Amino acid sequence: MTAPVEHSATVSPPVIRRLIDGGLIGALAIAVIGAAGYYLFPNNLALLTRMTAMALLVLSLDLVTGYCGVATLGHAALFGAGAYGAGIAAAHFGISEPLTMTLIGAVAGAVAGLVAGFVILRAHGLAQLVLSIAVIHLFHEAANKASRWTGGSDGLSGIMPNAVFGLFEFDLWGQTAYIYGLALLILVFVALKILVRSPFGMLARGVREDPVRVGAMGVSVHSVLLRVYVISGAVAGIGGALSAISTQVVGLDSLSFTLSAEALVMLVLGGTGSLYGALIGTIVFMFFEDTLSAINPFHWLTIIGALLVMVVLFAPKGLYGSAVALVGRFRRRQA
Amino acid sequence: MKKLAMAAFAVAVLSSAAYADTIKVGVIGPFSGPFAVSGKNFKVGIDAWLAVNGNKVGDNEIQIVYRDIPQADPAQSKSLAQELIVREGVQYLAGFYFTPDAMAAAPLLSQGNVPMVVMNAATSAIVTASPYVVRTSFTMWQNTTPIAKVAKDQGVTKVITLVSDYGPGIDAENAFKAAFEKEDGQVVETIRMPLSTNDFAPLMQRVKDSGAEALFAFLPSGPPTLAFVKAYNDNGLKAAGIKFFATGDLTPESDLPALGDAGLGLTTTYHYSVSHDSPENKAFVAAAEKAIGNPVELTFPAVGAYDGMYVISRMIEATGGKKDAKAAVEAVKGLSWTSPRGPVTIDPESRHITQNVYLREVGRDADGKYINKEIQTFEKQGDPGLAFVKK
Amino acid sequence: MQTVFSIAVDALAYGMVLFVISIGLSVTMGLMRVVNLAHGAFAMIAGYLASYAARDLGLGYAAGILIAVVGTVIIAIPLERFLYRRLYGATELTQVLMTIGITFCVIGIANFIFGPTLKTIPLPPALQGSVDLGFRSIAAHRVFAIVCGLVVALALWFLIERTAFGIRLRAAVDNAAMAAALGVRTEVVYAVSFAVAIGLAALGGVVGAELLPVEPYYALRYMVTFLVVVSVGGAGSIPGALLACLVLGAIDTTGRYLAPEYGEFFFYLAVIVIVTLFPRGLLGRSKQ
Repeated sequence: MTAPVEHSATVSPPVIRRLIDGGLIGALAIAVIGAAGYYLFPNNLALLTRMTAMALLVLSLDLVTGYCGVATLGHAALFGAGAYGAGIAAAHFGISEPLTMTLIGAVAGAVAGLVAGFVILRAHGLAQLVLSIAVIHLFHEAANKASRWTGGSDGLSGIMPNAVFGLFEFDLWGQTAYIYGLALLILVFVALKILVRSPFGMLARGVREDPVRVGAMGVSVHSVLLRVYVISGAVAGIGGALSAISTQVVGLDSLSFTLSAEALVMLVLGGTGSLYGALIGTIVFMFFEDTLSAINPFHWLTIIGALLVMVVLFAPKGLYGSAVALVGRFRRRQA
Repeated sequence: MKKLAMAAFAVAVLSSAAYADTIKVGVIGPFSGPFAVSGKNFKVGIDAWLAVNGNKVGDNEIQIVYRDIPQADPAQSKSLAQELIVREGVQYLAGFYFTPDAMAAAPLLSQGNVPMVVMNAATSAIVTASPYVVRTSFTMWQNTTPIAKVAKDQGVTKVITLVSDYGPGIDAENAFKAAFEKEDGQVVETIRMPLSTNDFAPLMQRVKDSGAEALFAFLPSGPPTLAFVKAYNDNGLKAAGIKFFATGDLTPESDLPALGDAGLGLTTTYHYSVSHDSPENKAFVAAAEKAIGNPVELTFPAVGAYDGMYVISRMIEATGGKKDAKAAVEAVKGLSWTSPRGPVTIDPESRHITQNVYLREVGRDADGKYINKEIQTFEKQGDPGLAFVKK
Repeated sequence: MQTVFSIAVDALAYGMVLFVISIGLSVTMGLMRVVNLAHGAFAMIAGYLASYAARDLGLGYAAGILIAVVGTVIIAIPLERFLYRRLYGATELTQVLMTIGITFCVIGIANFIFGPTLKTIPLPPALQGSVDLGFRSIAAHRVFAIVCGLVVALALWFLIERTAFGIRLRAAVDNAAMAAALGVRTEVVYAVSFAVAIGLAALGGVVGAELLPVEPYYALRYMVTFLVVVSVGGAGSIPGALLACLVLGAIDTTGRYLAPEYGEFFFYLAVIVIVTLFPRGLLGRSKQ
């Protein structure tokens, strides 16, 4: 759908082009916007950090939904696994070094991705959607049952991350958490940009376009998708770990259907199949949610709903996808 | 850049002196979504208090800032609490319907120099999360323990418990079991029902098969409680003489009209009934009904909020409007007053509210309105659950 | 043995209530290919209308059902004309976004107009109380729900398989362009099917209100259940939906009786197994 997006750099020398392709511009954009957020909203860093964690989840969802065409309403399973992985490591095993916690989160997310992918990839379309719903409910129920480890519905508290590199304490105002999160987001973004441009990424896209042909090339479609799922799990797991580190509490909501559905809404809002779409969708949705619910905590849901309907009517490819299409049309007219 | 943010923060923290005339109270609660009734009751309790007492304490004017968390979400709670403290410059945090939300915000209190007044969240452990937490609601243990005594007094020896399978439900199960076994009663079976359960018929069959003489139930107020009570009636348990004991969560006033006659005769223990007969409560209910619009919606979180506002007003008085969480909390330790629910005290040690718990029966008042009628009082109940909080 | 019968009765009753509420969604999803997450929102609107008519206006239960069904369809017509028409043939994700948006709006509006408390639809005396089955009793309104379910299933099956309209509908679904070329006015067919689906949602919302009480969050609370039931049955298949409701009702009920604390596990594991074995649903229509 959004393939034309990528063909903008036409005459640049190859080195620069490769850097651009590698996500340098995107990384710079995130850094600039992130810094702007830091200075514009110094009193609301916790929200920005939450956005960052969510952006990781939505990016991870984009990987399976946007790039591979897997329909899922259960992606929070991977995020929650990361959050609980990091949280349990800190609360029960005293592993409170943030980088280690993040790594544990990534591994937990990847494992959850393997499990979830194993189940979800057994069907297509609607059936797949239902499998993903079943998966998220099973994860949620399992975490609720294992309350000795997870704290159940009261949440897992007692997570006290150490200072990053032993230097930067996690202060109350969330500066360290925000910068840490931003750094993670940039690293993940660049890695994903390289990944989707790699032969493997192309293969994954090929699966979405035409699984039969990819299969005929002698590649196992299932194994490609499963590998994408594991990578996606690691990304979501990093987001979960970031959430656990910055909030210091992990709740069952991190493994909920609601969170999964919200992530999907953000992704579709921004535009599937492009990493920028995932980021834009997250920022726009959460910004509106936060602003509207602060203005009117009682009836903001109505306005969010109306906005979503508007987006479908006027920007059917999502905000980013439709903007790109618009720019493309404008250029063609000029030329 | 750290300096800049720190400066902004310092301004926020020290701003109390500069703006002595306006004191902001940040209230976090479920104002939309599935628990909107409870959020609405927070607001109504606060509005009622302001209507009765005015929005001024000394020279200081109280201003309320509301923030919405539709369902338990600790990450959002923390970011909202932080935003309230730093950007809005609130001097007090209040509200909190869900335990994890309160737990997530608690670590901010000492650094932010802000007390938290919990108006609902009912897990015993919350008060241990920070020395700046004061609670004006109840705990599951507090409200559950007396009903075991009631069951025993009615000659019941075998009980089956049915609770929703999540934190508060498990608290209720443990509390009932502990109290009932202390009375030499026997809990023949404990059933935990998934929160999403909407058809209770098979469970009622299970109750019948268990041979228990009574059931004890806890479900959070909402649609399933209605289905639960109806299943109890429809499946012939009521007719078979199996008694029904529960905490007041099953019969909140806002659900009573929907329960209708099916609810008549249900016995529950709780810390507050809208029908409580006292001048303080009459004044409260009159103000609250005016604030809520539809009187049917008025129920228990409103009284937690109303008393929470009283506690906050005393804190403001004690600190003269200055930002001093420690002094504020010290000032209300041991504070006693007559709440709409009856005489209450903030226990100096736990900072949780000590109050009467009432045995009530669903009936109709003179106008035919469904009410929880108080028939027995258990005086000065503390929180037995604190002893079980793991340190 | 008696317990087994007893559970079977509960399972049948629960399954049929599920069927009445979900079948409308099976029509939208299977025949019109729209993932209508706002299905519950329409059922809820109907519940509110019925409650208002029967309780506040005192018009009685039957009138309440009629007003609810007609009223909901009337509310839905402009939505079909201006919003849903854009979704026919759109990607699933677009449909999800739009219908979730509609659901949010409806929840917000319901909360604003009717307040957040539960609303009931008073039953007529004949449906109150219990019916004695000899070995146990069952609520009378559940018997009513079972009957409603059977009537709806038969009527729908007849409409789709045996009438001229059904032929046009199936033609329009399988190949809209070809059907249009053959003189089928597909827009009208779609509009009528949508109205039928909404009418069924409305009926289900009212009849099922004893089990799933009406409140603003209804629209989202049961969405997953509806979606699961329809997909397990095979979207668009009336007998499939019926079978799915009975099977899932039986699994859920038995699980709840035997091991309530693991009820969710039973249910969703069963869903995974069924969907894996029958990716198009138990009796799903094959794709073209």
